Amino acid sequence: MRWLLGIAAFAAAWLLPYALGGYSMHVVDVAIIFAVLAIGLGLTMGVAGQINLAQVAFFGVGAYAVAILTTGAGLGFWTASVLALVAAVVAGLLAGIPALRMQSHYLGIVTLGLALAFINWVTNAHVAGRAEGISDIPVPPMFGIDLSSAYLFYYVELIVFVVFLALALFVTHSPLGRRLRAMRDDDLAAGALGAEIPLLRMTAFVLSGLYGGVAGVLYAGLIRFVAPETFSIGNMFLLLAMVIIGGRSSIVGCVVGALALAFVREALLDVSAFAQLGYGVIVVLVVVFFPKGLAGLLSRRKAGGRARLGPFQEYGTAAADEGTVLEVEGVTKRFRGLVALEDITLSVPAGQIRGIVGPNGSGKTTLFNVVSGFYSPTRGRVRLHGRDVTNLAPYRLSLRGVARTFQNLRLFEDLSVRENVLLGLDRTRTAWIWRYLATPWAVARYSRGLNRSAEEIIARFGLQEVADAVPRALPYGIQRRVEIARAMAMSPSLLLLDEPAAGLNGEEVRQLAEIVRSIRGSGVTVVVIEHNMGLVMSLCDHVTVLSSGRVIADGPPDEVAVDPDVVAAYLGDSMAAPTESEVEHAEG
Amino acid sequence: MRITLVATALLAALTACAPPGQSGSTGTQASGPIKIANINAQSGQLSSLGQWENKGVKLAIKEVNAAGGVNGRQIQLDLFDDQGDPTVGTNLARKIAAEGYIAMLGTAESAVTLAMAPILKDAKIPNITSGQSPKLAELKSPFLFLNAPTSVTFDETLAKYLVDEKGYKKIALISNNGAYGSGEHDAFLTSLKTRRVTPVADEVVTPDQKDFNANLAKIREQDPEVLFIGAEEVQSGLIAKQARELGLKAVIAGGAPIGTDVYATTAGLPNAEGSIVSSPYLSNEASDAIKAFAAKYKTEYNEDARMHVAKAYDGAMIMVEALRATGGEGGQKLADAIRAVKRDGLLGAYTYDEFGVGIHETKIGLVKDGKVVPEAAS
Repeated sequence: MRWLLGIAAFAAAWLLPYALGGYSMHVVDVAIIFAVLAIGLGLTMGVAGQINLAQVAFFGVGAYAVAILTTGAGLGFWTASVLALVAAVVAGLLAGIPALRMQSHYLGIVTLGLALAFINWVTNAHVAGRAEGISDIPVPPMFGIDLSSAYLFYYVELIVFVVFLALALFVTHSPLGRRLRAMRDDDLAAGALGAEIPLLRMTAFVLSGLYGGVAGVLYAGLIRFVAPETFSIGNMFLLLAMVIIGGRSSIVGCVVGALALAFVREALLDVSAFAQLGYGVIVVLVVVFFPKGLAGLLSRRKAGGRARLGPFQEYGTAAADEGTVLEVEGVTKRFRGLVALEDITLSVPAGQIRGIVGPNGSGKTTLFNVVSGFYSPTRGRVRLHGRDVTNLAPYRLSLRGVARTFQNLRLFEDLSVRENVLLGLDRTRTAWIWRYLATPWAVARYSRGLNRSAEEIIARFGLQEVADAVPRALPYGIQRRVEIARAMAMSPSLLLLDEPAAGLNGEEVRQLAEIVRSIRGSGVTVVVIEHNMGLVMSLCDHVTVLSSGRVIADGPPDEVAVDPDVVAAYLGDSMAAPTESEVEHAEG
Repeated sequence: MRITLVATALLAALTACAPPGQSGSTGTQASGPIKIANINAQSGQLSSLGQWENKGVKLAIKEVNAAGGVNGRQIQLDLFDDQGDPTVGTNLARKIAAEGYIAMLGTAESAVTLAMAPILKDAKIPNITSGQSPKLAELKSPFLFLNAPTSVTFDETLAKYLVDEKGYKKIALISNNGAYGSGEHDAFLTSLKTRRVTPVADEVVTPDQKDFNANLAKIREQDPEVLFIGAEEVQSGLIAKQARELGLKAVIAGGAPIGTDVYATTAGLPNAEGSIVSSPYLSNEASDAIKAFAAKYKTEYNEDARMHVAKAYDGAMIMVEALRATGGEGGQKLADAIRAVKRDGLLGAYTYDEFGVGIHETKIGLVKDGKVVPEAAS
């Protein structure tokens, strides 16, 4: 059905020029250029969540590079275009560097500064023709077809547009796009799932530069003149309005927004002073009432309201590796004056279920954060299968087989349950992305393989009914199960569970114990932080007790439970071990 | 699958058809009103220029229509807003071509006119612009005409007066990096170079800068005899005012903006006193023809005339004269007719050369009590 719509739209677009006058044709040509720009901005801002206000500068880099290389250096139009694309991508890379260190509005300010710097440069540089710009860009040659005609240039634009729209849609729906969206929702959790955050941010800016460059080349070929005003902050705002009104996380929405606003702008040409005001008002209204833009109005996610969990299907048993999986040696972690962990040493042998318990604030989650790479220890070492992994980034640890869940659940809110699982399944490095351009069919095949595996995991964890729902629409117990499924999708050798039973009812806790045992049975080593003593006692082979950042007891559950230090640490003044309800109350 | 095949076949069939295009030319109607487009910035930073140009053009067309039009046909003048944006300008160029306008007046911003020129050339629509950039002349488009001299003429006349006649050697420059300011800067610097004069200071500011103390302090250290200002009216006034406040004694010189009342009132009359102007239009009292025009303008709009309205008026009148010669016909004929016009206008005697420049000299004036008087008379 979608294919049919697409083909119908393309046929209509192919016939369109026969119905248009010369002026309308030109307006359409300009609108398509803005649509290409909007796709690029949608990819960086909507899909990857990078606030990028330099898109108009990438556009300028592309157009100016063509202008300078053809009129100044005397190159042919298409040679200049290729170099212009390279220049725009390089500009994207440079603009992306700040994104490695800062995010959200800080990044917005920096990219805005870069855009202003670009305009300033072209207004002052002799090579860029200064305020008067560069005219006389040659007509692009095309096997004798006269591209100075707005009608014939339209077909060039249409083909380029369709190719780059397809690329954008392909990227968004591929494993890479899923990772970009995961990074937008929660970059920490995405890192823990193996997404190389720095590289992904650079990828987003490279895409932004690429689309800016393509639009710039088309602009140079169509208008055959460049001047600073075209790349002004005013036009950046217009572009931003297109993306926001259309719906920033939907590529098609961005295109619709861009085309619509380009035509509205043309219609309001005679009252342009008020039109600016109008765009401002519309943007404010859209942001307040329809944060997802036009695209958000059309697509409504299936709610998972009354969905139920299916039964868990046990893993087959497999022998665990020999030896020690995790070794923590003398790890100390200080935050300024506060000592969160002091000289922690523990080792977890393969195939064990290790419990980590201790009062609130005793450093359990900090220990997890050190082991999974979120924190660098102040002192000490962490080894995985005997190899030193201290200070490795979360995505590297993830690729080496460390999976974790989070105390407060970090599911990607705007991704469906299936997509959350797919993210865990995707074990490719981001450096793999050259294949998206070189061999897209291989990517598509890989993606289909992932989908099959995802169905297996969804079935195993009984998530069939909720697979297409977004996590926030689901009950808490199901969200907990999804997070474990996502972690297990990574096929880890070490699974870290941070309070997996918090917020679960009795039946759910029983199922949890069953799942964790089956996971261990499949050869995975499990470390679990838990307050639910009943669960710890029945589930764990070995328990380590932390208090004020130190290990105060370490041994089988029944020995640890009666250790006087443990009793004192837990209870202080009162003289009984905490019950489950008390602990939950204290946490609430 | 079958649908895909059908669609592919359909597309293939379409490709085989004749390429689309605008069928037939809009041609020139022999009756009805003659359509002329006036394109100018009505919004954005340079809208004041655009509005002046439009008033000058409107006044001219109103007079012509009141007097019976061109060979009995009325002129229909329509205003379009280019927002000072070259992209919008190119859209409008195609729009007027599609809607059958046979001539265009405007724009006031060189960058926009430069962007539109190739399209208007292809559409054979003659354009008389108010831009002054030398780049406009360099295009050598047979359909592009200027209604004023280029910056080169303004500054060549000024440099000739300052260096050759007055013998000044220590000259300082301050200009903005906008289209107008940088054009002035380059043209004046070239004129100085041909006279083997190197400026003692060359300060560049931005078009929206308001405080020039740092730049002027540097200039003061060089103790120049002349301070050349390349900026629009208000900014020129501010520069002059702050220069005098810093105790800079140099003679102030510049192009047309220095001759305006806006400059004089912004600078303060005592500060503006003695400033040297190079302009084809020195003041509203420069000649009887100009006095009559200024009076007409004052009655129509209740504001004082200035060079921008005068040159737009001249441009419109030249267009009308050419239309009379072609009998309302446009295209190549109209362009040739414009080139043949010899008009004694408000800015001087127009004779067009192959660059589309009609006026080739400016006059030197001095500011006295906020008014410009011709240099010879002082």
